[in-house]
Amino acid sequence: MISSFSIFFLFALLSILLHRTKWLKPFALMGIVLSSYCTFNNIPIGLSGFFESENIKLFELILEIVLFAIILHEDEDITITQILFIGASSILLLQSDTIVSFVISFESLSLISVVLVSSIKTKEQAQGAIKMFIAGGISTAILFLGLVFYVMGGGDLLQPIITKANNIEQVGIYIMIIGLFYKLTIVPFHGWAADTYALVRDTHAAILSAVSKTVVVLAVFHIFSPFLLQNIDFSVPVLVTFAIVTMTLGNFMALFSKNLARILSYSSIAHAGYILLGFASIKSEFANDGILYISIAYIFMQSAGFLTLDILRKNYNISTLKELSGFSKQNPLVAFFFTVQLLSLAGIPLLAGFLGKAVVFYAGVDAGLWWVVLIALLNSALSVGYYAWIIKSIYFDTLAKKEIIKPIYLAIVAQIILFAGTVYFGIFAKTVFNIQ
Amino acid sequence: MIALELIFIPIVLAFVLALFFRGDNSISKYISLVLFTYMLQFSLGLFSQLPESGFLELGTFLSVEKFDFILTLQVDMLSSIMLTLTSVLLILVALSSWSMKNQALYYSLLILFSGAIFGVFMSTNLLWFFIFWELTLIPMYFLVGIWGAERRIYAAIKFFLYTHVASMLILLAFFLIHKESGTFEITLIKESMLASPLLIWWLLFIGFAVKMPIFPFHTWLPDAHVEAPAPISVLLAGVLLKMGAYAMIRLVILLLPQTSQKYAWIILTLGLISLFYSAFMAIYETHLKKMIAYSSISHMGLVVIAISTMSYEGLGAALYEMIGHAFIISPLFLIAGFLHHKTGSWQMKDMGGLMQKAPYLSAIFVLAGFAALGLPGTIGFVGELTILLSTIKSFGLWMAIIIVASMLASGYIIWTFRRVIYGQMGKIVQETNFKMNNMEFLALIIFAFFIILFGIFPNLLFEYINPAFAQFQLGGAL
Repeated sequence: MISSFSIFFLFALLSILLHRTKWLKPFALMGIVLSSYCTFNNIPIGLSGFFESENIKLFELILEIVLFAIILHEDEDITITQILFIGASSILLLQSDTIVSFVISFESLSLISVVLVSSIKTKEQAQGAIKMFIAGGISTAILFLGLVFYVMGGGDLLQPIITKANNIEQVGIYIMIIGLFYKLTIVPFHGWAADTYALVRDTHAAILSAVSKTVVVLAVFHIFSPFLLQNIDFSVPVLVTFAIVTMTLGNFMALFSKNLARILSYSSIAHAGYILLGFASIKSEFANDGILYISIAYIFMQSAGFLTLDILRKNYNISTLKELSGFSKQNPLVAFFFTVQLLSLAGIPLLAGFLGKAVVFYAGVDAGLWWVVLIALLNSALSVGYYAWIIKSIYFDTLAKKEIIKPIYLAIVAQIILFAGTVYFGIFAKTVFNIQ
Repeated sequence: MIALELIFIPIVLAFVLALFFRGDNSISKYISLVLFTYMLQFSLGLFSQLPESGFLELGTFLSVEKFDFILTLQVDMLSSIMLTLTSVLLILVALSSWSMKNQALYYSLLILFSGAIFGVFMSTNLLWFFIFWELTLIPMYFLVGIWGAERRIYAAIKFFLYTHVASMLILLAFFLIHKESGTFEITLIKESMLASPLLIWWLLFIGFAVKMPIFPFHTWLPDAHVEAPAPISVLLAGVLLKMGAYAMIRLVILLLPQTSQKYAWIILTLGLISLFYSAFMAIYETHLKKMIAYSSISHMGLVVIAISTMSYEGLGAALYEMIGHAFIISPLFLIAGFLHHKTGSWQMKDMGGLMQKAPYLSAIFVLAGFAALGLPGTIGFVGELTILLSTIKSFGLWMAIIIVASMLASGYIIWTFRRVIYGQMGKIVQETNFKMNNMEFLALIIFAFFIILFGIFPNLLFEYINPAFAQFQLGGAL
């Protein structure tokens, strides 16, 4: 059966044969184009336990665009193959409708993520990979513990989640959510992410923090939202607490970091907090739009951010704020794209980051959580502090050092694609809202 | 519709120019001048099309009905006046930046700012209003941070963070308004629809008070003013602060009249404190530009007091003073910036005897200074007089204490004259050649012309200002 999932999977397998040839990248890109064609024409996966919706279709198309850009950017053969595998399992996860399909696709995504980061070249990368491996293991263990409780209570794995769960099932579901919090980098389960994103290769960090995180967010929201909505009295205060702690801690840690990758890692954690606020606003009819919108915005800006870090580190040997001084004089184009994505992360209007946050925060106000939204807004203002500081380094400081520049045309094309996404979704909100 | 293009073409154009032209390439300069002139023509053209009361519709775009996220462009008399003022100032700023370094980027940022600010004054959808409101921060941040004086980075980041935090309160207020009234459209919202007008009022008031700025939310302004290059100080004082005042009138006074009436005493008190506190600070300052910055805050204090009357006369006077303030403070900032550029000093004690070296420049400085202290025959006099009369009418005779502030202004202005323009010629002044670029001088002359013109013929402005608040004429808006 031909579907976007099977095309991703097939191309991933075949791409192994093309390693060390110049055909690998065109082949992988072709795979993505074909799978987008399938997505666009609503070709179903054809397995039971999976669903389709216009929301998910839109997000899959965006996922394919982003993966396309990442592959354009990437030079390492093994990573390109793994990106295709990530694409395959992401599509499975996004469309999973029952508990069992969710768990299986989630685990396949986790597994391939571990494989992804394990192409190790330096000691730091090994450290990052091991942290992720351990955290992933713990996350899986907790998820399965929850699953056991859920089944013990009588839950059916082949069905979507039970909304009116008995006590044992409820305990199981909450344990499962805790396990997923590891993957969503919710404080206090975030420790691994801050290190892993900062230590592994930046392209890998882009995939982990932008692609797989948003995919997990949307899948978790689809699977668990009926349950959360039914148990609003307990779930909302808990989610609100986690959201506040996550965004505040993430932003403060980012504010005190000097390493660029670490700043983006903590900002990624802070964004997990904003997204969780969307979960907490489940009562509002805008919660669904909010989660979708912030995921779309986030996948563009975060992956662009990490890909830029990759350019900086590889071509200019820049990894700290200090080394970034005066970068606009060295490569105005990359500096410009980076700045726009940072402004989008900071939530500055006419960029996707603003509308993403705005819709989530509006959902919060709509659900009666205006004081939480106030905290989130102040957090967002706080985040401007460190983004503005990076931009200050790029534009206002004098040039620190001049490096020899290698041509990076494809990486620039990737940046243009991601830039276009960030700007498009910052203005044309219609695309997201009209599909409901 | 041309209105939409006037917002988005500059925004796109700014990026195109910034990417394709570098360094001192002067193409952006001429393009910006043409664009701003066209904007002025467009704004002036609006007056003949405006209906007798209410809004002129310029179109709706990009509509997302579910979220009520619709770019509705509408203008009334108030926004047309603001658009005209903004375009005039943009042209003058473009002229007075004629010999700026790294021009290509500088003018691209000015163009970006012009698009955003037109969006602020034209959109009546609160969310789009907020989008353009925030967008003005970006060019300002770069303009202060790149072309500013010694402590520019500190000032730029402080300005950005301070006003951004305030904007967050505004955004929350807009969300609450939408939740309670079901719309973001200003013209459809009535105060009676709102369930929590008090909370919304406070959020909006504090948010806009930062931008205006009103004591105690003013601390970002002296830093930003001092560190910004002179033309950008003009933009800050003439456009950005006016944006705050415009929003205060449109979204606090006109949108929430009952709550504003209830809290008018708070607005009045803070306005009075702003007025006197900054006047005293201005007397104390020996830093020329900081003195002007405090005098600017003091004048905005007058605007706040006038707004707090919530009357036909008071709001008209506030609008007049807003325009007057733009024309008075701008030449002062430009000359102060020029003096610093030439002498390398901000301190008044290093100057003195400027009249002998640069008589024309000094004459304009003196004229603007006199306008600032409210000398009859200048635009400043009309503003202060109408504010005094309207506040006495609303709050009673004790409002005559405003005159004391005017006296304080005479104190710091005339003392400044003595230290900078007249007096013993300082050593630095003696050695400096005060030759000014023709375009920059032309801008100063135009400012001086407006100061006198509207001082002698205030009706030229009142003819347009009065209809802007016609709904207050019979007390109907309350």
